[in-house]
Amino acid sequence: MKFLIVEDEEGLRKSIDQYLTAEGNICDCASNYEQGYQKLSIYDYDCVLLDLTLPDGEGLQLLKYLKKINKADGVLIISARNSLDQKIEGLSLGADDYLIKPFHLSELYARALAIIRRRNFNGNSLLSFNELEIDTASKEVKVNGQLVYLTRKEFDLLLYFLVNKNKVISKSAAVVHIWGDEADMADSFDFIYTHIKNVRKKLTDSGCKDYFQSVYGVGYKFTDA
Amino acid sequence: MKLFTSYNSILSVITLTGLLIIGFLFYQTLGQYINRQIEDHLYEELLEVKDFAHVKNILPSPEGFDDVIVEYKKIHRLTNSHRSFADTNFYNPKKKHNESARYLKTQLVLNGQPYEILIISSKFERQEQIKSIILVILLPVIALLLILWLVNKILIRRMWSPFRQLLTNIKAFNINQEKVFEPIQTNIEEFKELNKAVLEVSLKVKSDYKEIKLFTENASHEMMTPLAVINSKLDTLLQSNSLGKEESEILSDLYKATSKLTKLNQSLLLLVKIDNNQLQAREEINLKTLIEEKLGYFQELIQKRNLNIQSELAEFIIYANRSLVEILVNNLFSNAIRHNYDGGSIRITLTEDNLEFSNTSTQMGLDPLKIFERFYKDNASDGTGLGLAILKQVCIRKNYQLSYCYQREQHHFKIVFKHSENKN
Repeated sequence: MKFLIVEDEEGLRKSIDQYLTAEGNICDCASNYEQGYQKLSIYDYDCVLLDLTLPDGEGLQLLKYLKKINKADGVLIISARNSLDQKIEGLSLGADDYLIKPFHLSELYARALAIIRRRNFNGNSLLSFNELEIDTASKEVKVNGQLVYLTRKEFDLLLYFLVNKNKVISKSAAVVHIWGDEADMADSFDFIYTHIKNVRKKLTDSGCKDYFQSVYGVGYKFTDA
Repeated sequence: MKLFTSYNSILSVITLTGLLIIGFLFYQTLGQYINRQIEDHLYEELLEVKDFAHVKNILPSPEGFDDVIVEYKKIHRLTNSHRSFADTNFYNPKKKHNESARYLKTQLVLNGQPYEILIISSKFERQEQIKSIILVILLPVIALLLILWLVNKILIRRMWSPFRQLLTNIKAFNINQEKVFEPIQTNIEEFKELNKAVLEVSLKVKSDYKEIKLFTENASHEMMTPLAVINSKLDTLLQSNSLGKEESEILSDLYKATSKLTKLNQSLLLLVKIDNNQLQAREEINLKTLIEEKLGYFQELIQKRNLNIQSELAEFIIYANRSLVEILVNNLFSNAIRHNYDGGSIRITLTEDNLEFSNTSTQMGLDPLKIFERFYKDNASDGTGLGLAILKQVCIRKNYQLSYCYQREQHHFKIVFKHSENKN
């Protein structure tokens, strides 16, 4: 898939670029408004990761421009501004999602993929990994064609790991993904363990291989390697 | 004591004592003046008695005229020939009652025979005169004083009304609200000055406060981007396959630290936002549903700590900003869970107009005055120290009453929703 990263902070841009490229995507980078404007005019992207505060312009202007020239690129706003007004303005201008800095790269990727899935809805709502199959539209999980019943949180967690397969997911990232930023409980990452354990058990009980790997105390990895 | 009352009491003490002294002196002078007049009169009578005895060689009849009575008493010899005056009471045979009077007592030799002569004259008429004189003077004075007091009262009330208005305005002034201090209209120089001074102070305070808020907001914002960089670099680091056990632990600690910083930043931003009244939209919220939702949301945390939840929830609907109310409930929940011990209990009671969270805790009672202060927290707490401050700020903003108490080894947080505030 093809991404455009419009972000003026070099460190962050590089990290995103690395992460997405390692997942087998193609990334273009723009460090300011002008570059972003040019790239958007020439190329088509599956998803644009758009920072709002750029040194020479406003990210929202790029969004407006994109809508003006009738492009169907998905847009994920990444911003440090977390006021409700900003979110509403961004979303009503046609952005698909709004992610507040700081975020985890795995979260960014999961959200970007969700946008792309929603955009190319026809038949693309199915994600599969060996004997595992997830229908993101009907929220169903199948192992060898057999339904596995997961709770809402368990489903979200599995989808999150599957999207970021072969990547190490930190506990902190998993907690934020499931409970969001608003839950004031960042001091207790450990209970994500219970959830992973439950998902694991449900999957292996229905004949699925255990793909969860524990990575020392930092987190987990979903992989068949 | 009010200024007017204090001023008035001093004034009335002075006036009353002055009035009493003046009245007393006045009465004394008048009495002496009248006594002297009567004495003159008595002396004239005496002269008449002498004349009478001299001319007619007989004593005048004891019953005089004009309320004058003359008495004679034969004595053997003159002992004391000087005249003495004094007050007495006597029976007025004409009017048939006792009257106060003044008499003149002296010894005289009449027709070669020494007599003691007593001439009594009634003071009744004169006393009546004094009474009317005093009344004539006293009544207008009292009336004048009363009028003065009344006028004073009204005048002072009117004169101080700008002051009172000013005071009301100062009390109404709230640094957190957009409402600026309302200056008053007055022609009195002193109040004008006071008004100006207060206005200047309020504007200064307001702008300083705004600056601090802006600073907090900007600083917090500016910190978000570096935090995002750190977070993303950590994520990148995590993907490198060369992590040993030690490195993993370091990474895990770093994640915790960044997440705490992020939390702190977001809390500060949230406080500024609440202060700025940026969360204004109102909608109908069913508190019962919301709390049940949050119970599900916090389920894992509750299970992990093996907490016993008792809830008694009545249907209750409020009109407020959803995110504000969610923050409120979230903070109450996470507070009750965070500061609990494993196997403890939480009791949630929602009634017609109040919401109460009670929880067991390893901690004894906390200082109810300090508990809602920013960055107040005990050493054992892992939190940012802003959770309760945010709670308090939300309650101030929404005019809810928030209270804390420690009873029967449980912490109680209670929010009373005012009915009038809820109805649109």
